[in-house]
Amino acid sequence: MPKFGAHRTSDVSDAPEERSEVAALMPMVRRIVGARVSDRAAADDLVQETLVRVLAAADRVQPGMLEPYAIRTARNLIASGWKEQDRHKRNQHRLVDLRPPAAPDEEMLQREEHDAIAQALAHLSDQERQTLLAHEVSGQDTRSLALEQGSTAGAVAAELNRTRARLRVEYLLALEGTEPPTDRCRPVLRALSSGDRRRQREVGADLHVLECAMCARLSEPLIRRGQQREDEVRIRITADGDIVLARQGARELADRIGFSRTDLTVIATAVSELARNIVRFAGEGEIFVELIEMPRCGVRVVARDAGPGIADVEQALADGFSTYHGLGLGLPGARRLMDEFTVDSEMGRGTTVTMTKWRQKG
Amino acid sequence: MSIGPALVSILRQGSYLIASIHTALDDSQMIRFQEDLIEQIGQHRSRGVIIDVAALDVLDSFGSRTLRNIAEMARLRGALTVIVGIQPEVAFAMVELGMGTGSVFTALDLEEGLAYLSSRVSSSSALST
Amino acid sequence: MDENSTVDVDASYVEAGGTPQAPEGFPDALAGDRQDVDQLLPQLVAHLGEHRTKLRQEWASRIQDARLLQAMTPQEMAAETTSVYDNYVEVLETGSVEALQHYARDLSERIIPRGVETHEVVGIVLLLRDVLARSLFEKYQQDFALLNRVLDAYEPAANRIANTVAVSFVDERERVIRQQQDAIRELSTPVLPVRERLLILPIIGVLDSERARQLTEQLLAAIRIHRAKVVVIDITGAPDVDEAVANHLVRTVDASRLMGASAIITGLSPEIARTLVTIGVDLSKMNTIGDLQGGLEEAERLLGYTVTRQNDSAE
Repeated sequence: MPKFGAHRTSDVSDAPEERSEVAALMPMVRRIVGARVSDRAAADDLVQETLVRVLAAADRVQPGMLEPYAIRTARNLIASGWKEQDRHKRNQHRLVDLRPPAAPDEEMLQREEHDAIAQALAHLSDQERQTLLAHEVSGQDTRSLALEQGSTAGAVAAELNRTRARLRVEYLLALEGTEPPTDRCRPVLRALSSGDRRRQREVGADLHVLECAMCARLSEPLIRRGQQREDEVRIRITADGDIVLARQGARELADRIGFSRTDLTVIATAVSELARNIVRFAGEGEIFVELIEMPRCGVRVVARDAGPGIADVEQALADGFSTYHGLGLGLPGARRLMDEFTVDSEMGRGTTVTMTKWRQKG
Repeated sequence: MSIGPALVSILRQGSYLIASIHTALDDSQMIRFQEDLIEQIGQHRSRGVIIDVAALDVLDSFGSRTLRNIAEMARLRGALTVIVGIQPEVAFAMVELGMGTGSVFTALDLEEGLAYLSSRVSSSSALST
Repeated sequence: MDENSTVDVDASYVEAGGTPQAPEGFPDALAGDRQDVDQLLPQLVAHLGEHRTKLRQEWASRIQDARLLQAMTPQEMAAETTSVYDNYVEVLETGSVEALQHYARDLSERIIPRGVETHEVVGIVLLLRDVLARSLFEKYQQDFALLNRVLDAYEPAANRIANTVAVSFVDERERVIRQQQDAIRELSTPVLPVRERLLILPIIGVLDSERARQLTEQLLAAIRIHRAKVVVIDITGAPDVDEAVANHLVRTVDASRLMGASAIITGLSPEIARTLVTIGVDLSKMNTIGDLQGGLEEAERLLGYTVTRQNDSAE
C-alpha cells in the first residue's frame, strides 16, 4: 500500500481528554477522506495520518479550533498524497478519484491537471458550478442547498450526481486535449459516467463504446469507478481464452439463482457459441450477463460486437447455414438452447444477440 | 508446447493411447491437443485411442467438432477412437445444440471404452501381427 | 472512576432489561384493557362451556342452512363440530393456537379427499364465530359498556382462530396437490431397470416439451447410475406423436448414444411412422421395433444374452 509521504509522529500527547476529543473527530475525518479517496486502504492510512497529526498538534491548537484544524489537515494530506501519487504513477489519480480536489492547495497540483479541471468546470453552467462548489468545497449539505434553491434534497443530490458525471467527462476530455470525434460521444460518456442504465440504453452507449476507440479508452476509468453489481457480469471478448471465461462467468452467475445443472450447462453452451461468433467474425466485443426477476426469474445474455454485421439474419438462423468451414451451428444452436432469442444486426455496424433462459418452476 | 500436464495428459498403454482432458480448454489449446494426440498416434503406431472428457462441463460446437476431427484423423492413421465420460448434462446440451459426435463411438467411462476397444481392435489386428 | 462505572452498569441494565420486555409489556394506558382481557376471557370461556350443547347445535343447524359440508354424514358432522367447538374454546382459554393448528391440519387431511372446498371451511368457522358472538350479545345486552369490553376481548381471539383454520386448510391442500403432482410426474416418466445394463422407459400420456425434457434428463441420469448399455423407449402409451415429439425422441436417442447407450424405440405404429417420414423426421438413425416384446428381445441380443424357452423341455 502506498504510504502518503509524511512520517508518523511518535511524540504524541498523552493527555486523555485530548485523546478523546481527537477520537471524536474520527467519523468526520473518515467522511472527508472517504469522499475524496475511493481506495479503502489508502483512505484508512490518510485518516490515521490525520489523527496522528491532529493529536500531535492538539496542545498548540486553540480550544474549539480542533475540528477546522483536522479538516484542513485531512485536505492537505489528501492533496499532497495526490501529488506524490501523481509523480509515481502518472495517471493513477484518474482512477482513484475524478472529482475536483476541493482543497485550497490546488496550486500544489500539477498545472496540467489544474487546467483540465478549470476547463471542465467551465463547461458547467453557473448554477451547477456554484452548487457543486458549495457542496464539495464548502461542505454545505444538500438540505440547506435545497432550501436555498427552493428544491428538495433528493433533487439537489440527483443534480449534483449529474453535474459530477459531466465534470468527470469534461475533465477526461480536457486531459486528452481533444474534442470527441462524434457528437454521440459526449452523451454516451455522460451516461456511462453517471452509471444511469436507462440513459445508457437510450443513447446506445454499449454499442458506441465498441465502435469508438476514444470512448472505449475514456470509458474505462468511468465504468471502473462504479461499483461492480452483484447481479451481472460483463466479459470483454477479444481472444479464444475469453470464450471460456464468458461461459464460466455466465454459469457462475446463473448458479446463484438455482438453475438446474442441466440448465447451467445449456446456458454455458449457448454463451460459448455466441462468444465464439464474436471472436470469429467481429474480432472483439463483449458478453453481458444479468439476472432478471421480471416477469420471471431468469438469466439474460447480451452478446454485442461492432463487427461486419450479418447480411441475412433469417438465413443465419436457419439450420445448416454457415460462413465458416464445417458447421453453422452458432446461432440456430444457441437459439434452440435458450427460451428467448433475438438478433439485431446492421451491416457495417455490428450485431447484438439477446437471449434469455427462464428458471423452471418447482 | 504450452499444453502441460495440467490441462491434458496422454498416456500410452500397450497399443492404446489414453488421453484425458483435465480442465476446460480454449480453442487454441483444443487445436494443440488435437495436433499433439495425432502426432503421438503416429509415433506409437497406436491401434486405439480413448479420449476421456469427464472433466469437461461444456462441449460446444467447436469442441464436438474437434473431437470428431481427431477421430477421423486417427482413423486415417489406423487407430479407432472412443470418447468416454460425457456427462449427462453435457450430452443433453450437445443434442439441444444440434451436435453429435457423428460416427465416433462413445462409451460411458474408461472401463467401457477399453472393453470396446479390445473387442474391436483384437479381432482386426490379427492381420497385422 | 468507581462512580462512573456504577452509572454505566445501571445504564446498561436499563437498556438491556428494558428493550426485550417491550413487546410483551403494555404501556400504562392499555394496562386496564389487559386486565379486562385477563378477567373477561375466563368468564367468556365459562359461559361457552356452560352452553356448549345448545351453542354447538345451533352452529350445526346454521351450517346445514348454509348448505356447507354436504359431503359429510350427519354423524361425522356432529363429531367434527364438537371437536372444532372444543378446540375453539380451548384457544380462547389458553391463548395458544398450536393444538387448533394441529387439529385443523388433521381435519383438512381427512376432508380434502372428499372434495371439501376452502370456502366451506372458512364458512363454518365464521359461522361459529357468529353464533358465539350472538350468544355474548344476549348475555351482556343489559350492560353495553361491559359488552363492548367482552367483544374487545373476544374478537381478536376469534379472528386469530378463523385465520389459523383457513391457513392450515390451504396449506394442507397445497401440500396434497404438490404431492399428487409429484406422484403423477413420477408415474408418467418411470425409468425401469429391468435387468443389468438394460433400462425401459415407457412413455405414457401427452408429451409436452417440459415433460419431454424432464424425461430426457431422467433417462440420462439413470444411464449413468445403472451403467446402462441399452435403453428401450416404449411409446405405445403416447397418444399423439407429432413432429415435435418425434424430434424430441431423436434427440433423446442421440444423447443416450453420447453416453454410450444404444436406444431402441418400440410401439411406433406404421401409421405414425409413415406420418413422421412424410413430415421429414429422420427415422433412419433410430432403431425402431414394432412392439415392446420385440424391443426387449433385441435389447437382450445387443447385450449378448440368448433367450431360450425353459418350459419347452419340461413339457
